[in-house]
Amino acid sequence: MFALQLKRVLLPGFTTVTALLILWFAVTTQGFFTLDNARAILASMVFVGMVSIGMTLIMVSGAFVSMALATTATISAMIFMASLSFGLPVAIALTVLVGALTGALQGVAIGGWNANPIIVTIAAAAVLEGVAVAFSHGATINPTGTSYTVLNAHLFGLPVGLYALAVLALTAESILRFTRLGPMIYLMGDNRAAARAAGLPIGRIGTAVFAIAGATASLAGIFMASFNHSASLLLNRGTLGYDAIAAVLIGGAAIGGGRGSVLNTMIGVAIIAIVSDLVLLRGFTTGEQILLKGLVMVAFAVGVHLRQEQRA
Amino acid sequence: MKPPSPLLSVERVSLSYGRFKAVREASFSLGAGEVLGLCGHNGAGKSSIVRMLSGLLRPDSGQIVLDGAPCAFRSVSDAQRQGVALVDQELSVIPALTVAENLALGEPGLGLRGTLPREEARRRLDAVGLDHLDPSRPLEDLSIGERQLVEIARAIGRDARLFILDEPTATLNTADIEHVFKAVRRIAAAGCGVIYVSHRLDEVLALCQQIVVMRDGAVIAEQRAEDLNAAKLVELMIGHAPKPVTKTARTADDGSRILEVSGLSTEPTVDDFNLAVRPGTVTAIAGQVGSGGSDVLRALAGLAPTAQGDVMVQGRRVPLGAPRRSISAGIGFLSADRKGEGLFLSRSISENLLATRLRALSPHAVLQGSRMRATARKIASRIGIDQNRLGEPVRRLSGGNQQKTFLGRCMERDDISVLMLDEPTRGVDVGGRADIHMLLRELASQGVAVIFASSDLEEVLSLADDVVVMRAGRIVSNVPVAETDNVRLLSDMTHARLSEQVA
Repeated sequence: MFALQLKRVLLPGFTTVTALLILWFAVTTQGFFTLDNARAILASMVFVGMVSIGMTLIMVSGAFVSMALATTATISAMIFMASLSFGLPVAIALTVLVGALTGALQGVAIGGWNANPIIVTIAAAAVLEGVAVAFSHGATINPTGTSYTVLNAHLFGLPVGLYALAVLALTAESILRFTRLGPMIYLMGDNRAAARAAGLPIGRIGTAVFAIAGATASLAGIFMASFNHSASLLLNRGTLGYDAIAAVLIGGAAIGGGRGSVLNTMIGVAIIAIVSDLVLLRGFTTGEQILLKGLVMVAFAVGVHLRQEQRA
Repeated sequence: MKPPSPLLSVERVSLSYGRFKAVREASFSLGAGEVLGLCGHNGAGKSSIVRMLSGLLRPDSGQIVLDGAPCAFRSVSDAQRQGVALVDQELSVIPALTVAENLALGEPGLGLRGTLPREEARRRLDAVGLDHLDPSRPLEDLSIGERQLVEIARAIGRDARLFILDEPTATLNTADIEHVFKAVRRIAAAGCGVIYVSHRLDEVLALCQQIVVMRDGAVIAEQRAEDLNAAKLVELMIGHAPKPVTKTARTADDGSRILEVSGLSTEPTVDDFNLAVRPGTVTAIAGQVGSGGSDVLRALAGLAPTAQGDVMVQGRRVPLGAPRRSISAGIGFLSADRKGEGLFLSRSISENLLATRLRALSPHAVLQGSRMRATARKIASRIGIDQNRLGEPVRRLSGGNQQKTFLGRCMERDDISVLMLDEPTRGVDVGGRADIHMLLRELASQGVAVIFASSDLEEVLSLADDVVVMRAGRIVSNVPVAETDNVRLLSDMTHARLSEQVA
């Protein structure tokens, strides 16, 4: 009861205040409103953006989150670098295939056997991490050849990866809206028992969702490796997976499933990119950066979800 | 003698959900010491009125006047402070605490496990007729009815003046219903007002002095209970006298069987269940809750992992244990647990209607938007749901319309030859019930075999062609409906000899 009243008081101002605070920060930060900085922000959306596409589908399908996507990206980066000797197209195809397969295996357990998604994906992350260590012997994997640099190219002033992100996001959103899989994902996320009783192929839906998530995480890995001209265990610096989860929540997807959209998640990705950029320009220490980013994400996620609760 | 100003008056109150007008300029009043019955077809606007009076929703226009003062409730707790107590299916008492601790919940100055002085707890329990209940008993030992009474007792402690009881007896047994009645009479005698919302017209007529009937969001009648009877009430609620369900003329048995079940058993309930069903007939599996009818249907639907037995649909064997297999064999199933295992509550009506036919609407996996809209509209008009509401979440529908939406999922389909329903009209009011029965007869006349499990004698006798009675997991009798009546049914359900040989 008290919480309800608290919400009523806090709610109208909540998101607005946070947004104004960020705007004020932006105005008073030197170098924020420049074309170069805008490009930098957009470019920094690529990796988190790709991972969060898959994360959105997972959350909408009712499987909460995957803890394995960041590691999938890391190991994909390694596979990509190591397989460049077969040529760029083959390397990309092979890497995405491996990513999709690792996702699909988790999806079979989660969708088909109703295993707990958090446990399965944490276990998968541990296994993948182990494979990554064995694969790289802890060393940095360097590319053979320079064919990958085309992925770092710029088109009309923006990196190729950003176009790839846009295409992926639109494709995923179209899958949700215009294909048979889309409504099935929403229905399963809303009520798994009802979906089963209604005869929806829940095993296959779960497998498809996790396979797509694995594929988009691999693509993130491919672009990460190209950007860094190498791949190693340190590639994702630990925040990739959490940033993606935060982006999905800021985008308003329901934690329990049944609601959410990839395009809204992209707004979440943009907000995270802007905040990361601001704390960087302001010259905060790494610790302070993480703290501030965390606070902003909490504020947004809470604000968005309070609003939805009121509408429901 | 009526007091000069009533305890509650609702004045020209309206409420819309989007384009749908749930309540249109409804007005009625309630005096202190009075019990007012609120009746209506599903979707008539009763629940919306309850939600506005309890602070869950605010009216778009009009006002609610309590004790002569207009009030705008800002929240449920605000409404509680101003003296409104809502008692509905979702009880806010806490099973892990004792009765006394529950009574003390929310009392200023007492913590979560604080207790009231013993006399005070006693006084409140006495006020609702729980004279012999020990306040130190844990609440989880109490029946649902007694828990409701504890909730009412708690509201008395908050000095509530207006009590709203929303379907209080829907899940209660006869003894508990009697308790609730006594408590209602006592709180009314103490000068409080009670609004009693129920589908059970006999209860409303017995308990209330004043009856308000709603239809399509408007108040149709506000009359003294002594001027009304059940037949008149039904007529007011649905706008015309109820049509009797027409049964398909009983065709001669040509020996065709659409469904054949032999030796079906499920651990631990059903034992050696046999049944043969002809197309175009309605079969009831009657029995008290837990007698096995529901388990039989669940097994046939593929939802019972331990089920064993031979099931043939149109001469083809159906493997048990996978819902998808049963559905592709042509068996449709509507669970009794509409919310847990049926509807997708936060998704739209049209998504719910189309959930099971997505494959047919998406050749090459791409959805055909216009065909989907057309199909949804077609089903909606057949089941009688406003087409303007198709985009609304199912959560907002009344129980009856939710059940119709659920049923709509299995309509307009050629691939379902056997439709099974578990308690097809549980939580559905008189009008909705008649509609659903009519829809089921219509499906049967198109050649579908309809099978339903029910513990409601009247439903069994009025809807079925053949009646199978079960008790303790076994078939007691299987006869055409003409050869049975409610006396025989009830005796079969409760105490007839189990050893009787069944054809």
